[in-house]
Amino acid sequence: MSFINTNWWIIPLFITCFSGALCPAMGTVLITHKRLLQVNLISHCVLPGLALAVALGLDASIGGVISGLLGALLAEKLTNKRSENYAAVMNTILAGSLGLGIILIHLLGIRIDLEAVLFGDLLTANWGDLLRTLISFLMFVCLMIFGYDKLIYVGLDPEGADANGINVSSLNLALGVTTALVIVSSMAAVGVILVIALLSTPALMGLVQASSLRVAMIRSSIFGVVISVLGFSLAILFNLAPGPLISILCVASLALIPAERSSV
Amino acid sequence: MANLIAENLTYSYSGQGYSALDDVSVELERGTLTALVGPNGAGKSTLLRLLQGQHKPNKGQINVDGFALDNVRHHVALMPQRSLLNWSFPITVEGLVSLGRANHSKSTCCELEAALQRVGITDLAKRRLDSLSGGQQQKALLAKTLMTPAKIFLLDEPCSSLDPPTREQFLIIIRQLADSGLTLFVSSHEWGKALNAYDKVVALDKIVLAKGKPQEVQERLESISCMSNHCCA
Repeated sequence: MSFINTNWWIIPLFITCFSGALCPAMGTVLITHKRLLQVNLISHCVLPGLALAVALGLDASIGGVISGLLGALLAEKLTNKRSENYAAVMNTILAGSLGLGIILIHLLGIRIDLEAVLFGDLLTANWGDLLRTLISFLMFVCLMIFGYDKLIYVGLDPEGADANGINVSSLNLALGVTTALVIVSSMAAVGVILVIALLSTPALMGLVQASSLRVAMIRSSIFGVVISVLGFSLAILFNLAPGPLISILCVASLALIPAERSSV
Repeated sequence: MANLIAENLTYSYSGQGYSALDDVSVELERGTLTALVGPNGAGKSTLLRLLQGQHKPNKGQINVDGFALDNVRHHVALMPQRSLLNWSFPITVEGLVSLGRANHSKSTCCELEAALQRVGITDLAKRRLDSLSGGQQQKALLAKTLMTPAKIFLLDEPCSSLDPPTREQFLIIIRQLADSGLTLFVSSHEWGKALNAYDKVVALDKIVLAKGKPQEVQERLESISCMSNHCCA
């Protein structure tokens, strides 16, 4: 314990590794299920909950998870309707959620380091942040153990899965809940906005010619850990913010994806 | 002897004032290949979904081998239209075909091999779905459907978007399946001589316009001029 206390970088490094593995694996599932827009909605819905939790004297992440979950439910409802303008409606709601969060912070007169919430503050991460990351990691592992086959069926043929007795709505809700947990747990590493990059780029790299979802997730996680640890190291070396640097590395990594990629 | 009998089926989607199907009756006999033809919007896919139990009819009943469909749903399998599937999903052909046994007993490698062999794609087992041609994808989807323990197979426009030689090849495969004792009901935009590959034809446009042997149905429909304007290339 004293080793960890004297070496401040240990906890941030653990969080970097866990988030670097978890976010891309989650992103792989979401991309193959064509649900990445919902992640955006959930990530923006986190802020109002954070503000309310702080105002009520609760742990900020509890409020974040709850409002993220409400975002997941809303996203689920909108996705089920699949009206022609659903993407536009979803984008409007995500912008409104961010606005609501900002207004609440102002009205409730609370102090939140907005920059840290939106863009991460890895170097000041603590045990609580690590615990949150581990909880969401376990939740994701449970989803994979109990729902992997169903996730494949639903991702490939949602109507067929429904006809075969798979409860598609419940599975999608579980996916939404896990996504909300992953986003809130990544708050320390890359922030709730920049997490989109870590959910997307390594997943796209992992999906190239992958023969199964499992293979794609493992590859994505490896790419994610490499990008995250590299970003973390460079941030310490050049005294820069790790979250934004990891996002920039994600964008740069897009160049490594073959143009004629035949997946997703 | 018929092993699926649907009588007086009426169905309308919620929120729509009109019936998608009105008083439709069909019988499917064991080991036969039956075509379901009709213009776009005639209710072909709706009828297939009713026969598989995905939708419940507002009126009418469906029996399979003398039992109500609800009790023997696993006897009927539906192969969906290809546009409903996410073909870019990272999965191999054998992975897709194995899914046919999802929620049933686990498949053995022999059953998987047999399903692939029946549609002639054994050599494609390890290929990713998105690396296949449209015809190969349809065969893989048929193999998945054949993995189910069903005896009655409903195929929703399996030949759409296939070129004529591939379509002909596909028809040969489903003919062989029917000859082996399976019951197949295939919605199609085929017309003219192409229908002679089927044992029976049901012509639908919300109601059953005609049913019987291909020649009889075509003669009957030629007397209903509107049908020839709508149906099929």
